[in-house]
Amino acid sequence: MGNLIWHEYSRFVSITATVYAIWAGFFGLFYRKFFWDFVGGTLRDPGGLQAPPGAAIFVSLIIKAPVIPIMAMILGMVILCIEMPLPAIKGLSLHRSLVVRVILLLFQTFLTILFYQGTNAAIWSFIAAGCYIRAIMLGEEMAEAKGNRGRSGQA
Amino acid sequence: MSCIAMGPPGPPPFVSPFLSLFYRPVRSSLLSFIFSSGRHGLVLLLVPIPPSSPLMGESWFHREFLNPRRLAFNVLFYGTHLFFFAYGWYSQATNIRLAGLNTLGYSVWISRGAGLVLAYDGGLILIPMLRNIIRVVRPKLTWLFPADENIWFHRQVAYSMAFWSMVHTTAHYVNFINVERTQIRKQTAQDIHYTQPGGITGHFMLLIMLLMYTTAHQKIRKQCFEAFWYTHHLAFFFMIGLYTHATGCFVRDSVEPDTIPTFPFYSTEHCLGYLSWRFTIWPGIIYFGERVWREIRARRATRLSKVLVHPSGAMELRITKPSFKYTAGQWLFLQIPELSSFQWHPFTITSAPEDPYVSVHIRQVGDFTRALGDRLGVGPSVVAAMTQAAMKGAEKDDKAGVSRGDFVELDPSISSISLPHVRIDGPYGAPAEDVFSNEVAVLIGAGIGVTPFASILKHIWYRQRKGRLGSLRRVEFFWVCRDAPSFGWFQSLLQEVEAAQADPNFLRINIYLTQKIGEDMLWNIAVNDAGADYDPLTLLRSRTMFGRPDWKSIYGQMKQAIEAGQYLPGSTSQLKTKVGTYFCGPGVLAKAIKEACDESSSSTVEFSFAKEHF
Repeated sequence: MGNLIWHEYSRFVSITATVYAIWAGFFGLFYRKFFWDFVGGTLRDPGGLQAPPGAAIFVSLIIKAPVIPIMAMILGMVILCIEMPLPAIKGLSLHRSLVVRVILLLFQTFLTILFYQGTNAAIWSFIAAGCYIRAIMLGEEMAEAKGNRGRSGQA
Repeated sequence: MSCIAMGPPGPPPFVSPFLSLFYRPVRSSLLSFIFSSGRHGLVLLLVPIPPSSPLMGESWFHREFLNPRRLAFNVLFYGTHLFFFAYGWYSQATNIRLAGLNTLGYSVWISRGAGLVLAYDGGLILIPMLRNIIRVVRPKLTWLFPADENIWFHRQVAYSMAFWSMVHTTAHYVNFINVERTQIRKQTAQDIHYTQPGGITGHFMLLIMLLMYTTAHQKIRKQCFEAFWYTHHLAFFFMIGLYTHATGCFVRDSVEPDTIPTFPFYSTEHCLGYLSWRFTIWPGIIYFGERVWREIRARRATRLSKVLVHPSGAMELRITKPSFKYTAGQWLFLQIPELSSFQWHPFTITSAPEDPYVSVHIRQVGDFTRALGDRLGVGPSVVAAMTQAAMKGAEKDDKAGVSRGDFVELDPSISSISLPHVRIDGPYGAPAEDVFSNEVAVLIGAGIGVTPFASILKHIWYRQRKGRLGSLRRVEFFWVCRDAPSFGWFQSLLQEVEAAQADPNFLRINIYLTQKIGEDMLWNIAVNDAGADYDPLTLLRSRTMFGRPDWKSIYGQMKQAIEAGQYLPGSTSQLKTKVGTYFCGPGVLAKAIKEACDESSSSTVEFSFAKEHF
């Protein structure tokens, strides 16, 4: 029983995950750490974990310059613009595309799982993407917003 | 149009002008009453209306701070939160034994403060859900807090919990990275996050919160109650996580966690947390006990004795359960194990305590109620056919044909349909006994909020027959509704009650239809109404009025009539007349009525208002 509209549910998960991702990215600017540095890394005292030379690319993109957290924040804001949605996006087919959301959320999962603060955001984004995939599999479609919404005296 | 609305043929002369003043012209924006009907038509909306309705056009500041009760709540609720945060911070920052941890600075002070606040919230979150205890204490505490707002309170705690979780988690991310960098403990941040009890339970609780909060959104709850219902039982694991969050002994003055082989498996000698679980576990234990008790109570002998199907589509379930004691205006949870052995669905009790059975009226509007209709062989299609036949009959001739109030009884001894087993749990909600301490009771039901009044009106009727009305002299019943015909079953009940009235002045039924009326309907009403004994829409003797009631003038007129001694003959000798208003429906309306009540109160007439009574 139950008639859950999956894409409407996923939206809430997606918004929560994305806000987390932005917050995580923000803290990633100040406390920079490559999440996977424990794989083959060395523990310095003091200094903490040092990533192995093989992960130099992540060290430069997360620690030397917080490129990945910044990208995660920008991506997060893009997702929020689609999910909330921004008035300019509301009428576009982009706003109604579930596939775009899945792609963006999976990309968000990929970005956030790389830095220390982002793991929960990654898991949650992955759940949101999964829910959207379920919605697509069930053939759900997002209804076009009604043109007369929010305008009075025309109905 | 106005002649239709006003022409009350029956009532005594002095009432007529009084009634006409209740009427306010139909406006084009009548759609502003949008009643949420829950999942089932009959779920009693005890909804603590979050006073956030944009309809009021009230500023946030006005709502939160200029209302004395709300102000008191805000000061107490957020005040205690801030106090716990400050205390948690202070006790960490000043603890000499925790000097090692304090080298981490602000982040550890913030995380400890927020942690204490979260313990407080964790203790509070279950309290509003102790339904049985609330039912017992509510009548004694109505003056203190609106006990029906328990779900609202539950949500406030949850919002607070989400905020402080964010603060706590953020602070800990900083703590753990600093522990790793300074190597104050020989661990990596990942070790603390994913191998120690605090980290593991913390991350799990966050995940559970994500699932619980998202499925608890009202949109999801309405779409698929099951998703909300089942997911919310993750609370069990959440609470386990909460109580064990500190077992890892993160807050300690020793190098390694000081574990011991006996409960609680860490020594308080070196583990210097707040030990908050010792306090917060009690609501959890009591809640668990309540659930067990509800299960035991639900297992007591219950039998579905009769099912009546009303042509409007409502199924009336008559249940006998000798151990079930209730008073008018309460509600219960119903379970049909055949359909689902886990789900409990709330319904308003529509029988009076004097009836030999407990009845609920169920409209087929959600998936559970439709499944029940199918199970009883009266699925939506059958009901639609019945309704059509009844409507035709009603249009032709009210008396000869099938009237809309007639119902069909499902009798298992004749038809092949067997009645399913049912279980009921309850009752919940406050009794409406104090109706009888007023001289005049004004009962106002809006939309689906009319359901508890079925029981109350019946109860009043029984008491009237026995002559045990207390000080009650008159009852004014108001029903504000968008489309009355969809509540056919209630009409038939009103018909019975109306027909049984010997004294035409005791009970007056006022029905307001707020629906937009098309031209066809208008003419239909005009043609059928003129000179007829019964109202064409409701088949009641009382005339339906169109448009929204103007509460201020209604109460103003009532006050004048009472003061002039017309309304209650002989009441002028009394010092003070008590007029009690009992309301069930949306909060916007509640507010308007309450204002009208307050405005009309004078030294001789006292208008009281109770929204949270049902």
